[in-house]
Amino acid sequence: MNPFILSILLLSLGLGTTLTFASSHWLLAWMGLEISTLAIIPLMSQHHHPRAVEATTKYFITQAAAAALILFASTTNAWITGQWDINFDLHFFPASMLTMALALKMGLAPVHFWLPEVLQGLDLTTGLILSTWQKLAPFILMCQIMPVNSSLITFLGVTSTLVGGWGGLNQTQLRKILAYSSIAHLGWMILVMQFNQQLALLALIIYIPMTFSTFMIFKTNSSTTVNTLAASWAKTPALTAITPMILLSLGGLPPLSGFMPKWMILQELTKQDIPLTASIAALSALLSLYFYLRVSYAMTLTISPNNLNATTPWRLQTTASTLPLAISATISAMLLPLAPATLALLSL
Amino acid sequence: MAYIMLTLLIGMVLGVISVASNPSPYFAALGLVLVAGVGCVVLMGHGGSFLSLVLFLIYLGGMLVVFAYCVALAAEPYPEAWGEWSVLGSVLGYLLLVVGAGSWFWGGWYEGMWVPVDELIEFSVVAADSGGVALMYSLGGGLLVVSAWVLLLTLLVVLELTRGLARGALRAV
Repeated sequence: MNPFILSILLLSLGLGTTLTFASSHWLLAWMGLEISTLAIIPLMSQHHHPRAVEATTKYFITQAAAAALILFASTTNAWITGQWDINFDLHFFPASMLTMALALKMGLAPVHFWLPEVLQGLDLTTGLILSTWQKLAPFILMCQIMPVNSSLITFLGVTSTLVGGWGGLNQTQLRKILAYSSIAHLGWMILVMQFNQQLALLALIIYIPMTFSTFMIFKTNSSTTVNTLAASWAKTPALTAITPMILLSLGGLPPLSGFMPKWMILQELTKQDIPLTASIAALSALLSLYFYLRVSYAMTLTISPNNLNATTPWRLQTTASTLPLAISATISAMLLPLAPATLALLSL
Repeated sequence: MAYIMLTLLIGMVLGVISVASNPSPYFAALGLVLVAGVGCVVLMGHGGSFLSLVLFLIYLGGMLVVFAYCVALAAEPYPEAWGEWSVLGSVLGYLLLVVGAGSWFWGGWYEGMWVPVDELIEFSVVAADSGGVALMYSLGGGLLVVSAWVLLLTLLVVLELTRGLARGALRAV
């Protein structure tokens, strides 16, 4: 793509999310969401092949519908309460509409159906932007409208963790696996958001480096299916050794960083006296763990001294920078001992 | 006046149903004209005459005309109107939904029943719509810049999406 257009689109993507973060008026927040949707559309269809165009169309339609619903809900709230300020509590009816609209924006169950198909149609870099950056703006709006209809939020959270677990079980395509992983993690974030927004923010802050690392690892290996990952030992032995740590961190296993948000969330849910919801969420994390384990097995546990499954490809020196992946992989695997410091930083 | 407003709002809901029931784009555009026209009259009834004029000019006179030209490029020999069973089914379904939603909201006004209320006209110094536009050009400087940037961004996005002559559903005219 023309570098000027590319930079305009990326900067507008940043502008949209920044506007939503900085806004105290619902209209400005809506504008920020629309700007980020508009800016990512050409990025998604830049390769102009039918699958990418299909993914772009689906993304545009769902995001536009969600944005229209956000506008409708905030206008209804302005009609009923006379307030456009985000800081003021919403009337219950537009609040529920807004929650469902933001759930559609982020890809929470039961309105998650667009996410696996859209992510599958994109290349790994654009999929990365979709999975990480595009979640920030609706997430921050969701944080600011809490507390709202507790049963709706709990329903969204538990359904998302269950759908994220079960939906990902039968997948062989890595992008769909990551889509269901995103749904499950967002479910965890929503679940705790009604009680403690800092913990939801912690979950997001830990989730982003983990997903970033995973996408970067798959990009380094140029693999989009589980089968092609099996040849990664011949391309990048170091990454083959590190990837299970990242994937199991996504699954929430101690002593990796991914355990931190799950642990804190379960603790908060227990303190709020809903141990049944906590148990269901913890058990659904087991489903997600299974497919992360399957990907790590296919990639790492089938290497030598087992039978060789691939011949060695040409290993040419890459010009791409390895620093981002190094940093994010370290964060995703080794942050758990810094849990008290992270939590203290987040209570600001 | 309340009866006029009621008739207009019913007309608007019927127009929305005529668009949402998925007929051929020609007829959907016709439904949109109905919705926008009636919506403009509703807006005028609430005192927003400037906004209504702008909506008519830009939405109907600009965007819908461009849409009609685009639809003419994708012309089909047997367009589905509202008489076809596939569309009629959707129409009846949506009518049922409207009746259901009406019965859900029937009754208490405090729960969100939307009766046309134009009580703010007596309490306003400046007309809300044209005063708002003036405010955006004076005090709302940053938002004006952002809005102009978004319009430019939309142009660039559309040009980037349709780059090249003909591809898939795109066609050089």
